[in-house]
Amino acid sequence: MLTVNGAARLVDAPPMTSLASVLRENLALTGTKLVCGEGFCGACLVELDGEAVPACLVPVGLVEGHDVRTIEAVTPRGEPLGAVQRALKDSDAVQCGMCFPGMTISLTAMLRANPDPTADDVRDHLSGNICRCTGYARIVESALAAAAALREIRGPRDRANGAPRDQASRTPRDRASRAPRGPVS
Amino acid sequence: MSATPTLHRPDTLAEASSLLADGQRGLIPLAGATWLMRSPLRGQPWAPGYVSLGALAELRVLDRRPGEFRFGASLSHAQLAAATAGDRDVRVLHQAAAHSANPGVRARATLGGNLCTAEFASADLTPALLSLDARVVVLDPGDPGDLAGAGGRRELPLVEHLRSRGGAGSRRLLTEVVVPRRSRLTGHARLPLRRAGDYPVAIVSVACDTDTAGIVEDIRVAVGSVEPVARRWPELEQLLVGHPLDPVHAARTARECAGAPLGRAGVDVPGWYRERVVPVLLRRAITAALAAPTTGQA
Repeated sequence: MLTVNGAARLVDAPPMTSLASVLRENLALTGTKLVCGEGFCGACLVELDGEAVPACLVPVGLVEGHDVRTIEAVTPRGEPLGAVQRALKDSDAVQCGMCFPGMTISLTAMLRANPDPTADDVRDHLSGNICRCTGYARIVESALAAAAALREIRGPRDRANGAPRDQASRTPRDRASRAPRGPVS
Repeated sequence: MSATPTLHRPDTLAEASSLLADGQRGLIPLAGATWLMRSPLRGQPWAPGYVSLGALAELRVLDRRPGEFRFGASLSHAQLAAATAGDRDVRVLHQAAAHSANPGVRARATLGGNLCTAEFASADLTPALLSLDARVVVLDPGDPGDLAGAGGRRELPLVEHLRSRGGAGSRRLLTEVVVPRRSRLTGHARLPLRRAGDYPVAIVSVACDTDTAGIVEDIRVAVGSVEPVARRWPELEQLLVGHPLDPVHAARTARECAGAPLGRAGVDVPGWYRERVVPVLLRRAITAALAAPTTGQA
């Protein structure tokens, strides 16, 4: 039994099957792309207990008891795009789109750990995300724009309450206990 | 070989050890799985089964004692990097953990996995820990040499573990890494062909004691990813003692020194290229060591 995007899902697969394969082939969550299969390209990144990890390298047999969040849950249907996705869209950064689920998951994790990154920080962090369309400049610009937008959202709350976790940092467990939600990643 | 390997998730070290002790079952330890999950791509068969170490709290310890660090084998590279961020004397380990692979892999790959995967020549943590004179604590289930009745538990130098891992040692369960603490300069340099998380062509780690005038009293130089297994370069270490810790002098000495690591050929680069870049990486590693902040716990 897996917990994927906040819902319990029963899966029948050999335990060493990759989580990426199970998401795509058993659960029809095809936003997670399975490309290199070696953890190099980042197209299959998902959040596992809030950490961005390459789903191609995670045996599904180790996932029971942990929260999986895929790109499908980043912006639920009908809700406005969060800061990262909005910035990618506004910067016209998306080309073929193959790498963007992973890019979104990766940048969300980065902004959670480092809310005020430099362009070099973003480039370093994206060492595990390959864009074969080579549109990196706009992706980096988008990340910086998303960071600025999230700081803007977080600012008044930071001043009032200390430093609460921002919206990009919420895990599925967090979201289950917090409502209503605002724009996320 | 099994087409559908089994996966065991023991809750205790004793249970894991018991599973691994049964040689007939052919089970091997599974840590972060970042290497094993690529077995099919390498054309390697699955083992009959795996014993996951992820739930074992004993393997997640982080013990900072006055004279030594003790790192649990299941700490991820990211956790190790965070834990050592302010410690000047193990800066080489911090640099190795913080820059290996890419962020996603660093969140999964573990300290123990890096040291136990005999087929992986490019592990960043191995040369870093060799330069720090690290020791490892292992459980060898069914170890015939367990005369002390310690349940197969023993502590041994990392270099000895590297010699004996794999083969009959592949069931060995590495539980802790012990790093002695003392004031020293340390640095790490690696050369990937790109920045996209690919394996480094070569890695150099250094740890050095100098006197008040900056003269090298003792130095350890470890080279990774050049030969199939990382190792120290004792001939070079001897030549550097008694001289100022100077990156350019060290690189020049390395170019003319006996006992240099022999480059393994690969699809990424030929062997001679790995050998050629080692002196350059030595220069960078020493430069990184000298650039270390003078404050910090030693």
